[in-house]
Amino acid sequence: MSNTAIRVEKLSKEYQVAGGNFRNDTLRDTIMDGLKSIFRRKENPHSFWALKDVTFEVERGQMVGIIGHNGAGKSTLLKILSRITQPTLGRAELFGRVGSLLEVGTGFHQELTGRENIYLNGAIIGLTRDQIRRKFDAIVDFAEVGEFIDTPVKHYSSGMYVRLAFAVSAHLKPEILLLDEVLSVGDIQFQRKCLAYTEELRKSDATILLVSHNMFAVKSMCSRVILLSEGKMKFDGPPSAAIQMYEEDSKVSPLSWARSSIGTDVSKWDIYLKEMDTFDENGNNVNLFNHGERMKVRLEFDVRRTVTNPNVLVSFIRSDNVACCNFNTVMDGITIPSGSNDFVIELLTPPLKLVSESYTIYVLVRDEKFERLYCAQAGKIFHVRHDLLNTHFGVFHEPGEWFMPNEGVDHQNNFSKEVRVHD
Amino acid sequence: MELTAGNPLRKPSTVIQPRKRLFELDLNEIWSYRELLYFLVWRDVLVRYKQTVIGISWAVLQPLLTMAIFAIIFGKLANIPSDGKPYPVFAFAALLPWNYFSQALSRSGTSLVGERNLITKIYFPRLLIPLAASVSPVVDLFFSFLVMVALMMWYGIIPTLGLLILPLFIVLALLTALAVGLWASALNVKYRDVGHTIPFLVQAWMYASPIAYPVSMIPEKWRLLYSLNPMVGVIEGFRWSMLGSERPDFLIIVVSSAVMTVMLIAGLLYFKRMEQDFADII
Repeated sequence: MSNTAIRVEKLSKEYQVAGGNFRNDTLRDTIMDGLKSIFRRKENPHSFWALKDVTFEVERGQMVGIIGHNGAGKSTLLKILSRITQPTLGRAELFGRVGSLLEVGTGFHQELTGRENIYLNGAIIGLTRDQIRRKFDAIVDFAEVGEFIDTPVKHYSSGMYVRLAFAVSAHLKPEILLLDEVLSVGDIQFQRKCLAYTEELRKSDATILLVSHNMFAVKSMCSRVILLSEGKMKFDGPPSAAIQMYEEDSKVSPLSWARSSIGTDVSKWDIYLKEMDTFDENGNNVNLFNHGERMKVRLEFDVRRTVTNPNVLVSFIRSDNVACCNFNTVMDGITIPSGSNDFVIELLTPPLKLVSESYTIYVLVRDEKFERLYCAQAGKIFHVRHDLLNTHFGVFHEPGEWFMPNEGVDHQNNFSKEVRVHD
Repeated sequence: MELTAGNPLRKPSTVIQPRKRLFELDLNEIWSYRELLYFLVWRDVLVRYKQTVIGISWAVLQPLLTMAIFAIIFGKLANIPSDGKPYPVFAFAALLPWNYFSQALSRSGTSLVGERNLITKIYFPRLLIPLAASVSPVVDLFFSFLVMVALMMWYGIIPTLGLLILPLFIVLALLTALAVGLWASALNVKYRDVGHTIPFLVQAWMYASPIAYPVSMIPEKWRLLYSLNPMVGVIEGFRWSMLGSERPDFLIIVVSSAVMTVMLIAGLLYFKRMEQDFADII
């Protein structure tokens, strides 16, 4: 009891959202919903619990990972603990100075130099001028910005920018540190440095809450993991069990942005996805694929009312929320007959040329004109593995053709051989 | 670092819960963040004059040009009286607080929305944002004040002891700008229309204030109503303390200050009530 650093009791946050305010998946949806909302504005404002009755305690010196799918309430929890937004119900007690890093570099001003920004940012997170002056050299050292310190940060590369921002925040030496996805930025070398620094902080008895989609980082750094799902605590315990549960939990759940158009109660939908599974080409049920492997997605739909020519869409959403690709029956020239019978459909993807990351499969059912929405669900998570390719390489990788016109040499063949080595 | 571990009765350093009291203005907390106020003001000033060719001279040039226009149009062409003082000095004495006020209001009105990045990511008392926006144009005011001194020397006007009270009127101007700025900035978070309204408000307000003309042009029976505009008291105060014109109507200054106080308190209340939702709706 006496060693508690964070105590959270029945913490809840309700958001009031008027209809049509949710993220939409196409511009057309956005505009149509915008038009509709002009007429519907005063009609029942939706409200939902982004966080509901979350209770836990963290001891000093613990590093706790917080995982969950998008919209599970991870960021809301961190925002409440860092006092950016207020809870609707419940209470939280923090014992010690709190530092939070919800997004690096937000306190930076483009026109100011690195030096000026260090002072400004230091003040924003609560350091006095004297404290900053004393830590100034250490910060510049850590950030490795060198002679650029007197250049406006608008001329910085994104790497330099992030390094400087992290360096300032890290040198606050907080007793409680709240981290939200910050370790996913910067190059690998700097990430290692940040991880090492975080570990050092923890050893000096700091308490750390880490929100991350990066399961590898969570597994290796945290001794305990809290799994959130739709605002509620689903699990609290050892990392491996939590991560396993997280991946199972990823079966099928309604997408929150569909709330305004079809609601999130699947039992009221005309059609919904009952089961989803991923297989390799040999029919083994797996969720880890090597870069370049093909994947088979099996979808089992429950149909309640007649749906005319359903258009099934499958999208891969990377863990940092980047929509990477989409397959749909209409564009692939497949017509699913109208009807009210349950059906199973399988998609065999082309070789997955995605970068090494985790992806969530989103499944939508629309009509053939991509207008009506019948079903919107997020399903399984799968991983793509490649030794080199990560998010810094973009979304996918395909070999290019290279020519050196002056030499008259065609390098294409050599190149594709090299790529095969990586596969 | 204070070690509190091992004491089962230690109090949490931060308690987070839904706000219960209707009004809590945590002045201690704002005081503890005074360094941040300083840095926000410093940043405002620095950023404003970066990448301008003549830099801080703008602070001098702007009111000077306005004064020249006023002197030609109102002083020469319209022949508006100026309480027996040379018209340029008469106008400039009013433009000092007015330019400050209009800048402070324009900046603080949109300040919260402009700091969206900070508000959604970092905690600190939000009041500092409009406060910093109201304080930073004081720097410009200082530079225009130097021009005022030069003008007075040129016209041979010797300041009276009233000059010592000038800081009081500067504070009055600042609080007036803050009062309106609190309302405008908090409203602007929810209704972006406010941001579009401010330029009109500033323009209309200018004509409702004794800048181009003296208060004596307002009929006696309307003066009390007229001084409900808190800037009337501020401008009268500036003119009196710098130009040593005859003693101002103290009733005007008292009424203006009272209106300002009511607006400021109501503004603070409103701001604190809205503050908790800023991060969610901005």
